[in-house]
Amino acid sequence: MDNPEVVLEVLDLVKRFDGLVAVDHLNFKVRRGKIHALIGPNGAGKTTTVNMITGENPQTEGDVLFEGKSISGRPVYARAQMGIGRTFQNIKLFSAMTVTENLMIGGQSKTTQSLLKYLADFRSARKEERHLREKAKEVLNFIGMYQYRDEIVNNLAYGRQKMTELGRTLMGEPKLILLDEPAAGLNPSERKEFIEIIQKVFETGVDMFLIEHNMDVVMNLSHDITVLNFGCKIAEGNPKEILVNEEVISAYLGEGYRRKMAKGAEGNA
Amino acid sequence: MKTARRNQYLWMGALFVFLALVPLFADNNYYITILNQMVINMIVVFGLNFITGLTGQMNLGTAGIYAIGAYTSALLSKNFGLSPWLTMIASVCAGFLLGRGLGYPSLKMKGVYLSLTTLAFSEIVRIFATNLIDITGGTQGLKSIPRFSVGWIALDTNTKYFYFILVVAIAMCLLSIRITDSKWGREFRAVKDNQDAIESLGLDIRRIKIRAFTLAAMYGAFGGALYAHFNGYITSLSFTTDLSINYVIILMVGGIGNILGNMIGSIVVTLLPELLRFLGDYYQITYCILVLASALFLPDGLISLYGKVMGVFNKRSVAEGGE
Ligand SMILES: Nc1ncnc2c1ncn2[C@@H]1O[C@H](COP(=O)(O)OP(=O)(O)O)[C@@H](O)[C@H]1O
Ligand SMILES: [Mg+2]
Repeated sequence: MDNPEVVLEVLDLVKRFDGLVAVDHLNFKVRRGKIHALIGPNGAGKTTTVNMITGENPQTEGDVLFEGKSISGRPVYARAQMGIGRTFQNIKLFSAMTVTENLMIGGQSKTTQSLLKYLADFRSARKEERHLREKAKEVLNFIGMYQYRDEIVNNLAYGRQKMTELGRTLMGEPKLILLDEPAAGLNPSERKEFIEIIQKVFETGVDMFLIEHNMDVVMNLSHDITVLNFGCKIAEGNPKEILVNEEVISAYLGEGYRRKMAKGAEGNA
Repeated sequence: MKTARRNQYLWMGALFVFLALVPLFADNNYYITILNQMVINMIVVFGLNFITGLTGQMNLGTAGIYAIGAYTSALLSKNFGLSPWLTMIASVCAGFLLGRGLGYPSLKMKGVYLSLTTLAFSEIVRIFATNLIDITGGTQGLKSIPRFSVGWIALDTNTKYFYFILVVAIAMCLLSIRITDSKWGREFRAVKDNQDAIESLGLDIRRIKIRAFTLAAMYGAFGGALYAHFNGYITSLSFTTDLSINYVIILMVGGIGNILGNMIGSIVVTLLPELLRFLGDYYQITYCILVLASALFLPDGLISLYGKVMGVFNKRSVAEGGE
């Protein structure tokens, strides 16, 4: 059963909200060592799909396999501990805390000290705390946020908050990160920086599942693309195939995009 | 950041020293009784601070927890002749079990529902205490709950008892600081700040909430036990919803989530009725207006005044440094 080439697989996923079918018999595989993008118009069911994978809003029907094992029915925190990290479309940070504290909470599920042991033995707990702080420092350096380490998150610009959220996710050492519109709301230079960081994270061996509207970002980063429309998969393939897919163009990209991409498509893929 | 925190520790130390000095100048049983109640309130509120202050879950069940702590220690020491040292430990254990039990219903509930559930719990405890007359004495109460001694020092006067619980309060304060500054404190604050993000980080939100509830219940039950042995007499009439609300008021007036604020709140709110006593019939209404005013004008409690004052000082010193 276990296919080492596939990190995540969803089987016939269905999500119904009362009468509305938000996701309809969706199937796809996220390959190991690849960046997989999920695209589609607003309301297509992309965030709903991510929430089914993480368990935050479980599916009505179907199954989710992570590393070959079904994780349906497992609580959100257990899936996160298995190595599924995520960021949110609408940032969900601990806004009254500092950047470093946010990151430390992100790494906390890996710590081992129990409260009783901590009260009996402050020293080893303090060591663990120091270790966590060091790790947060490393991650902040990695994502270029070190200078903001003591800022209260609420005081940060939107782009910095998005980056903080990614850093917090990295602290949990996930095997797979689900990014829900990471570049939305960023200005061009922030977007460029974010792409570079995502690439850098990917190169450390983390698989990526990416929801993104900006087609430059998608074409730049992804190896595989799944396209959703009204909860149904309408296409999948590599960026080159998606760009020339008639259904994708009419449902999502539009004619203008085809003309624009016709010139530069060669360089990608 | 660091110096602000150190300043708060200094203030806490100063307050404890101040409280320790009061009996030297006012060795009058009336004052000493108030001091005892003040410090017991402080211990209870240090606990409530975990669940309502840091974790942001309303808890109107403190009176029930406090009552169970009081009855456990009183009954075990009185009826079975056990040492109050042991029976107070039993109270804390009862608090632990209660916290576990109360924590579970809190998991699915928020806001008003949680408030009402904790309130109902507290009322159930009171009704049982009132009606199980054979055991609890009902509204007539339990009398001659024994005092105890620390080593060779018998805590036979209220002043001695006060110094004992002051030391206990300092220990509980240190424990609170330890926990608040640890990864567990950070988890509590994270739940209050953004519940939706916790689980995706691999943390079980249920365990966090239950832990906070349990700490609150352990502190609360301990406070109840200390009260029973201080007063020597308990009746179910003391453990009303008013008491639960009073603890929330202490928390709010002092400054939610802040340990120094807990101390200030306990001092101010315990003293207020005594200071307002001269108003006679108008006492209750004045008290309520003051609490309301504090909620309206100082939503972050008296401790926020401290922050503002220090802010002014800091700005001034920065400005002076710049010139
Ligand atoms: N919790 C919910 N309750 C009811 N309907 C929802 C809920 N979440 C999403 N939906 C609906 O499901 C559809 C898909 O939403 P979503 O997954 O957020 O789309 P996308 O992320 O692709 O923009 C939308 O029509 C949305 O209104
Ligand atoms: Mg979405």
